[in-house]
Amino acid sequence: MTADGVSEAAAARAGDPPPAGPLTAGLRLVRLHAASRRVPAAAMAIAACAIGLRIALAGSWDSYGALQLPLVFEAGSAAAIAVITASPLGEPERVTGRWLPFLRLATVLVLTAAAAAALAAAGAGAHLAGGALDVLRNVAGMTGLGLLCAAVLGGGLAWAGPVGYLVAGAYALYTQWHGPALTTPWLWPARPPHDLGAAICAGLVFAAGLAVITIRGARDPVGE
Amino acid sequence: MTAGAPAAARPVPARPGRWPTAGRLLRLELRNNAMLWMLPVAAALFWFTTYRKAMAMPPLWNLRAPSMQTGALLAFVFPVAGAAAWTGSREGRRHTTDLVTIAARPRWARLLAAWAATTCWAMAGYLGCVAVLYGVTAQQATWGGPLWWPAVVTAASLPALSALGFAAGTLVPSRFTPPLAAVGAFFVLALSTELINGSQSYWQISPLVTKPWDIGPDAGMATFYPYLPDLPLAQVMFLAGLTVAVLGALALPGGPGGTWLRRPAAAITVAGLLAAGTAVALAGAGRLDAHGMIAIPALHDAASDRPLRYTPACSHTRVPVCLNPAYAGYLPATAAALAPVLAEVAGLPGAPVRVSQAAATYRQGVGNSVSIGLAGPDISGRPPVFRLVLLDQLPGPTMTTSALAAALRSSAGPAIVADVIGGGRSPSPAQRAVIAALLIAAGQPVHGPSPSSPPAGREPGMAPPVPAPGSPAYAAARRFAALPASARRAWLARHLPALRAGQIALARLP
Repeated sequence: MTADGVSEAAAARAGDPPPAGPLTAGLRLVRLHAASRRVPAAAMAIAACAIGLRIALAGSWDSYGALQLPLVFEAGSAAAIAVITASPLGEPERVTGRWLPFLRLATVLVLTAAAAAALAAAGAGAHLAGGALDVLRNVAGMTGLGLLCAAVLGGGLAWAGPVGYLVAGAYALYTQWHGPALTTPWLWPARPPHDLGAAICAGLVFAAGLAVITIRGARDPVGE
Repeated sequence: MTAGAPAAARPVPARPGRWPTAGRLLRLELRNNAMLWMLPVAAALFWFTTYRKAMAMPPLWNLRAPSMQTGALLAFVFPVAGAAAWTGSREGRRHTTDLVTIAARPRWARLLAAWAATTCWAMAGYLGCVAVLYGVTAQQATWGGPLWWPAVVTAASLPALSALGFAAGTLVPSRFTPPLAAVGAFFVLALSTELINGSQSYWQISPLVTKPWDIGPDAGMATFYPYLPDLPLAQVMFLAGLTVAVLGALALPGGPGGTWLRRPAAAITVAGLLAAGTAVALAGAGRLDAHGMIAIPALHDAASDRPLRYTPACSHTRVPVCLNPAYAGYLPATAAALAPVLAEVAGLPGAPVRVSQAAATYRQGVGNSVSIGLAGPDISGRPPVFRLVLLDQLPGPTMTTSALAAALRSSAGPAIVADVIGGGRSPSPAQRAVIAALLIAAGQPVHGPSPSSPPAGREPGMAPPVPAPGSPAYAAARRFAALPASARRAWLARHLPALRAGQIALARLP
């Protein structure tokens, strides 16, 4: 018996599954990538934000609070998406992972779509200020900020972008009452849902964040 | 061993350094703390949300300092809570919990050092921001000094926010904990104020609250009377109690080397909770005082009710206009706005010999509504003095000097004339005609102020009644205004007592 024969026999005794096909291997890769990035936990955090928004919408808010409320939960969802960019594997994964950019792109896109859908669904039947279009714009823009922060600060601290922008956005909303009002489209939460300039700004930030995170990934020290 | 062999390294005995052990631990934590990375973000938010807003306000300490308390807290809440949660979750995230368990220091001491480092950086950043804002205001303000209580309340909030975030990170060491702690802290802090209902609300314990909630920038408080420390004291007590309770609770799990700490930690936690609970109860006992601040009977010092002493800034006009020196910047515009009207009535019996700025009086309404105005008559004393409340003392958008002057012209001007001519709320046709004539002569519009601008000394929207165009009183007013000024004054000097008594008919006007 050769050495190869010994190892094959040992593998057979251990009950290893036979070599998988490309589809199975691909699914396994996706699953492992999702697990390494804590995607299930992020999905739970997004669900918690949606449930929190739904519960909060049941309360009575004045017009200022009602406008600010969705922004808080949108920022929470965007922050949860941003922190999943942190890789626990670091350089070895970047060197060997051929499909890594596509996995990063798909993960972010799926989670962003899920967050927008979950938050819009949470507002169904209740008075959600700005409506679903507002949710989509804000979640996409703030997620883009989080992704850009991940590229600069690292995935672990990427939440600083969306949460910091939450404060700036809430202040911009405040200035609608206590002027002078801030009307720049870069502060898109303070613009109406159908404002084209605000949508373009949020879309640009999302596209930039997506491109950077797809190509470069987050700046992550190993072990975080 | 040969002669050329390197000498064996001998263990160097530990020397007592300049820093004690706790100090060295703190120094290590300070060098590796995430809050350092968050300081630029916090400073940028402070500039964007607080500094710009404060600089757009008039240079009044009573406007800028409370605004700074609210703004700075909102700017620092997420960086502090998030960075503290990040620091608190470090051992769990890096899977070094077992490694550090065998360290000589108790777990609580290690955690406290990490918390203290986060708090120190946050405090350093905050104090830098306050120094800039207060420094610029000190150069611009014409009177008064820094109000320290707003700065103290925010400073007391930072350790509490840091402790809460740190505890969250320690309990749930996950990468998701920092963002959720940051968003949660902002949510609780910013939106909890929605629950405030009136000046006796327990929610006033929120460190964002500086005055009756929902009235916006309020320049009427803490200029004529001291800034009451009642509510700030309760807030600081609450924040200190909360900080102590959370930090004490960190020691409750015990762990190797720290089991002896459990009892004292439990006592500390209970003491902190008691202090925080007492502070909440005190805040709920607050009431809006007449000078626009929240007074808490158990913490109130009667000496705070005495008015502040100041030397008014007065114009060198025939009828001096005197303002609180804090508002000295408004004096030229105010004096110029009132000069035409004062020239018409100066020297007449009962006319004011001085216009003096007065403190606004506050009264709690339903819910969060507050009525603000002048208590008592506009003209009082011997010799008569017209008491004036500047529109900038009332809540609302901050006005430019020219807008303030225009508003004064159309509110205080008619009020001065109406007070001299008499008639109160229902003047006779002759009184109406003379009021309108003097206003026309002074170049004033005779339609009264716009309903949106509250006239000084009257209920909002209550303008001195003026005759309708085309009416006999209006024609008489036009006729009287067309007289030479000397003729008007001579007639008024002779007939003003009778006119004030309502004994002159419209037909008797020249």
